[in-house]
Amino acid sequence: MIQESDDVIVKAVARLLVPFIVVYALYVVMHGHYSPGGGFQGGVILAASFVLLGVSHGLEKTRRRMSEKAARVVSSIGVLLYGGIGALCLILGGNYLDYAKLGKILRVTPAEARSLGILGVEIGVALAVMAVMCTVFFAIFTAEESPEDYRSVE
Amino acid sequence: MTQFFVIIGVGMCVLVLLCLYRATFGPTILNRAAGISAIGTKTLIILLLMGVIYDRIDMFIDISMVYALLNFIGTVVLAKYLERSGEV
Amino acid sequence: MEVTLLLESTDNAFRVMERAREHAVGLLDTAVQFTAEQTRFRQEKRGQLLFTGTQKRKTQFQNIVGTTIILLAFWMLLSGKFDAFHLTLGVICCALTAYLFHDLLFANVRVGDMRVIAARFIAYIPWLIEQIILANIHVASLVLRRKMPIDPQIVKFKTKLETDISCVTLANSITLTPGTITMDIKDGVFYVHALSQKVANELNAGDMEDRVAHIFMEADHLYVEDVLDAARIYQTLRT
Repeated sequence: MIQESDDVIVKAVARLLVPFIVVYALYVVMHGHYSPGGGFQGGVILAASFVLLGVSHGLEKTRRRMSEKAARVVSSIGVLLYGGIGALCLILGGNYLDYAKLGKILRVTPAEARSLGILGVEIGVALAVMAVMCTVFFAIFTAEESPEDYRSVE
Repeated sequence: MTQFFVIIGVGMCVLVLLCLYRATFGPTILNRAAGISAIGTKTLIILLLMGVIYDRIDMFIDISMVYALLNFIGTVVLAKYLERSGEV
Repeated sequence: MEVTLLLESTDNAFRVMERAREHAVGLLDTAVQFTAEQTRFRQEKRGQLLFTGTQKRKTQFQNIVGTTIILLAFWMLLSGKFDAFHLTLGVICCALTAYLFHDLLFANVRVGDMRVIAARFIAYIPWLIEQIILANIHVASLVLRRKMPIDPQIVKFKTKLETDISCVTLANSITLTPGTITMDIKDGVFYVHALSQKVANELNAGDMEDRVAHIFMEADHLYVEDVLDAARIYQTLRT
């Protein structure tokens, strides 16, 4: 269990930095098809922001924003988004993740449909990666708790 | 002008080697942590120089920002781990 | 004989009754007082709760809006695309982030003087860069000499800065200038590693601290105190 850090510098810098890191990660996800990055990288940066918050402000305050339960739900939602878009293309008569077929539902040209489909898939990947990374972080940093504590968290 | 940046980049690589010496043979773990942190900072500058040389500075700025971020978070987490395990 | 006994007993009975009545009146009084106090206390507390609740909600809303604006500026700086689709994405992302992290960016900030602080901070940066260049030259001259006349030492001084953000600004300024590294801040005491005596002396002069205090508006009352402290001025005049 990580306690809140008593260091003024780390705490204040983390406090100021975390919102910007989150916005930067979302920028990496949303602009994945123009600049370097994409779903996986953006998800890792998102998870890094939570790791920074957990290390500097203690695990309790991090759990208030992203608990283990929420991480599990969010990772499932991410995978569902990814698989759902792929399966939707399959239902509409194309191959798996054949985004051009999405144009029929969204009423846009196939090129725009490809762009939007890739964006949706990347958001799904980012959510899944972020949640799984958070789960790994929580699992590592709560490993030395006694089993009773862990059960109460569950 | 490109040659100028290449020369600066090579000089940075030499400095990275010096830091790598400290990170490899550092007597204590704090020396290693400081050496790794310095290597990260220098890698960031080398990335930006590469961006200038290849004329794609807008892309390399994104990469270098991620690098700086992960370097900072890695150092903080390492410090926290050392503090908790009581090795320092 | 019997008459006097009777009289005495009736007297006693009357006295007991009188005392009982007094007791009852006292009890009733305290009960009334207690309930009145209770209701007053409860009303006050409810008013306070209402007030703080609205205050909290208001500051929370202000924080969310302020954070969104700052993050949106950052997003535009990163993105560089100003078509409707990307701007909408940016607004959604920034609002979501601000909703999740509204209490981080504006903790411990006195609302109202943000603009002055920002202007003073921007004015502080050129001075800091000049200081960094001077210290760079000093440290390079120290290190490149054959004898390397360094004198490493740890300087400990008590700061007059109050908020965490001003302490962090001072600590990072000290670390940015070559030759000095902030090691720790504990209860307002800075532990700074200095490379040479000259750097340590500059640190002890407290010029940087005064400037940081000026940025975050903590200097105004402290300067007056310093002027009123006549003994210190006398001492500096004598030495």
